[in-house]
Amino acid sequence: MKTVLVLGGGVAGTAAALTAARGAARVVLLDGGTGASTLATGALDDAPWMQAPRPIDPVSTTARVLLDALAGYALPAAGALIATTAGVLRPARGHDRALLDLAPFAGRHVGVVGCDRPEWDAAAFARSWGDGFTPLEATVLRHVDERMLPAADFAARHDDEARLAWLAERLRDALARAGTRFDALLVPSSLGVEAARAQALSALVGLPCGEAAASPGGPSGLRFERARDRALAAASVTRATGRATRVERHGERWHVALADGAALEATAVVLAVGGLVGGGLEYAPGEAAEASALPPASRPPFRLTIDIPAAKLGAHGRPLETPGSLFGIPPESLAWPFTPDGMMERVGVMVDEDGRAAPTLYAAGETVADAPRTWLRALDSGARAGSAAARDALTSTAERPPSPSARPASRP
Amino acid sequence: MAIADGPLPSGADEYDVAIVGGGVNGTGVARDLALRGLRVVLFERNDLAFGASGNSSGMIHGGVRYLSSAPHVTEQSCRDSGYIQRIAPHLLFRMPFLMPVKSSRQARVMFELIDAYFRAYDDYQPLKHGKPHCRLDPSALLQLEPGLRGSIVGGITFDEWGIDGARLCVLNALDAMEHGGRVYVHSTVETISRAVGGGAADDGARYVVDARNRLTEERVRVRARVVVNATGAWSPITAAVGALPQERVRVRPGKGIHVVLDRRVTNYGIVSETIDGRQIFTYPWQNVSILGTTDDDYYGDLDDVHATSEEVRYLVQGVARVFPSVRSARAIGTYAGVRPTLYSYGPNEDALSREHDVVDHTADGAPGVYSMIGGKLASYRIFAQELSDVVAAREFESSTPCSTHERPLPGGERVPDAIALAERYAVTPVAARRLVYRHGSIAVRILERAARRPVERDVTCPCEPVLEAEVRHVVREEMACTVEDVSRRTRLGLGACGGMRCAARCGQIIAEERGLAPREGLTMARAFLVKQGRSRIVAMGPEQARQEALALAHMHASLGET
Repeated sequence: MKTVLVLGGGVAGTAAALTAARGAARVVLLDGGTGASTLATGALDDAPWMQAPRPIDPVSTTARVLLDALAGYALPAAGALIATTAGVLRPARGHDRALLDLAPFAGRHVGVVGCDRPEWDAAAFARSWGDGFTPLEATVLRHVDERMLPAADFAARHDDEARLAWLAERLRDALARAGTRFDALLVPSSLGVEAARAQALSALVGLPCGEAAASPGGPSGLRFERARDRALAAASVTRATGRATRVERHGERWHVALADGAALEATAVVLAVGGLVGGGLEYAPGEAAEASALPPASRPPFRLTIDIPAAKLGAHGRPLETPGSLFGIPPESLAWPFTPDGMMERVGVMVDEDGRAAPTLYAAGETVADAPRTWLRALDSGARAGSAAARDALTSTAERPPSPSARPASRP
Repeated sequence: MAIADGPLPSGADEYDVAIVGGGVNGTGVARDLALRGLRVVLFERNDLAFGASGNSSGMIHGGVRYLSSAPHVTEQSCRDSGYIQRIAPHLLFRMPFLMPVKSSRQARVMFELIDAYFRAYDDYQPLKHGKPHCRLDPSALLQLEPGLRGSIVGGITFDEWGIDGARLCVLNALDAMEHGGRVYVHSTVETISRAVGGGAADDGARYVVDARNRLTEERVRVRARVVVNATGAWSPITAAVGALPQERVRVRPGKGIHVVLDRRVTNYGIVSETIDGRQIFTYPWQNVSILGTTDDDYYGDLDDVHATSEEVRYLVQGVARVFPSVRSARAIGTYAGVRPTLYSYGPNEDALSREHDVVDHTADGAPGVYSMIGGKLASYRIFAQELSDVVAAREFESSTPCSTHERPLPGGERVPDAIALAERYAVTPVAARRLVYRHGSIAVRILERAARRPVERDVTCPCEPVLEAEVRHVVREEMACTVEDVSRRTRLGLGACGGMRCAARCGQIIAEERGLAPREGLTMARAFLVKQGRSRIVAMGPEQARQEALALAHMHASLGET
């Protein structure tokens, strides 16, 4: 059977699986558990966002199609403006539909709904976000445990229609009491996780309502997981759970060994196992090798957590080298704040334009070297890898000339 | 010394003593003199405890290393340790140490010598409420500390006391303020000059001190009869500001770093040796473990001292020799400070004297100006007393005796029961326990605050934990101006998350309390995260790298790139 095997169920893996399935290949997605995508804040970036404004890049058609398939995400033509619980207003290319896009409300009056939860201080946020924001006293907590409930769990309670209606009623009461006119409301993380309920709440309240972007670990990551599960099911992607330990070529096919002893076979493989945060890569300085006095050998400072001889790691367009120290390279050279754009943010599998690391082996998302660690780039690279992998799978019987070995992507 | 330009503005505040430096020596002297009824003013260029005082090993030790060369120093240190326990009982904690003796040709002899040495130290232990040493065979040693490895012939225990050096400085400063003193933090002294018409032996002010607040750019001018330079490693720089000869206050700055692990990885403090034969320690301290320390001549910027990965590797190697699992422990940060060691050209860093010295600048044409050179955290009180005795008698003909060894520091009168407080004020027992550790009886005042405004019971920093009420308290009552200042006073952001969960919120609170624009709160938060990031990267191992990448992603996601 000609199968595309996608390793990783984050944004990149999901994009690869959905695209490969569109290419009519049989697709299996192996998911090893939560990764960096679950930590998404709900603000979608293309390039890492800067405090200074910059021009909006167009989003590829493929990415738009995928976002439609996932449902629950918006890509306003002019970009979005999102409030964060760190107290800033940030530009974003797109957003989780539960978040309120503030771009249309410039110079208007936005209410910040008060709520006695540790991550939410309506008065401080209103001051911090600046002119036009006013705290609005309202009852949002219904049960005693809700004060300390994790934000995602609290949001999940509002998947219940009746609960959302209860919230809408409290907000209408609060608006009536306040007496001032508001043009929109920012609410704490409370808009469901099964689907973004911003539209439903807005309709009930009669005003545009939405959340602010929470810290990593908020409800947006959970919403992504639900949206992913629905989209993969609709595309008939086969799901498997487990962790790959080794990926090696057996003739024309890939043999993937799993941690539980099982194995999978595939015609093409997409690695979308994340970077350092997601757990696809690990930092492995020489000094950690042995407790004895002298480490046995110098070795590159990073490695894949899956043993894949065919994949080569690199950063800044160059393959990783063994450092000139048995104790590893000085960590000062790896990362912020010593080195902006240090190796830690760039290291990954070296691929060509299609995301190809070796013939019929692809990498996507944060697993890739020199790729910006953003949501929309993960989506894009996943789609590219998925589509190329599907082509490989469908043409795999043909005699193919040996592909050139992987080159670094030409784009920085 | 220059003459102050023109007559003084009549509004310039007048003090008996102006102290430069907000470390443990400066705040200690400020308190001592204030308790004797003198009007003191203190200037600190950065924050209280910014230098060596807030970056030490955090011990009030009994000076065991001076036992053979200068037993009077040991006796004095032990007695003073007892005094400090009396005046700040909430701030001290017992730190039992194990000293394993590794097998070697002379190991048996070494063991007997060490045993005898500590038997002599036992005589002084009652002065500091310490327990006598114990002699342990290898199996007893392993039972106490199962992580010990290598061939060991035995070991001994000894008893010391731990302290939070930053809190000690803050408490001394607060007590000076309670007794009429004035403290300016983040205020660098720009000139020390002769007052116009001063200089004669009248009782008027002889000196004019001009300072500038580095955060607000506000300027302060005070007049004082006496000026005390208590700026540690900065002493020669301060002397130059007063046009005094730097040679007289020369120090040999010795940098020491510590590595902080995410939890208490050992039951006891463990003594081990570095590759060059220096003694280092691994010890549980508050809710973390600390490895320390190094001692290297320092030629860098005193306002920006930080550990390097080289130094970290040197320490870890020394510890791993007897406690190998330290290599897989998770380091969550480092800190570094510079000792103001007395100057001498030639000896190894470790062999330099840790003594202290009072320099009277009368001979330099500046009567009434004194410098405090050298010293250690553990001997701060006695050093402050020595200087204050001289100043009080010589400059003010005061015979009021020193009372810093008897009168409790703020919060030290009584240590409330944390568990009872937790129940009464509905906060977690851990938060209450930590609050009582830091504030003693003042914890009740902070919890009362939270009871009046229940949102302030929120935990701002979950690692430590720190309640919002405490953040507000240290901004209002303890002169914290930035996120870093709050961190120094409360340990906010020093836990495993590196400030990821609390820095932005803390910045918001500070901006609100100080009436600043919210953006300034975020700028402070960012500055703190950068500093913490830098302190962590140098000790980064595989266990920390993933967290570090997450912290970075979080920074990008919530605060944006600049």
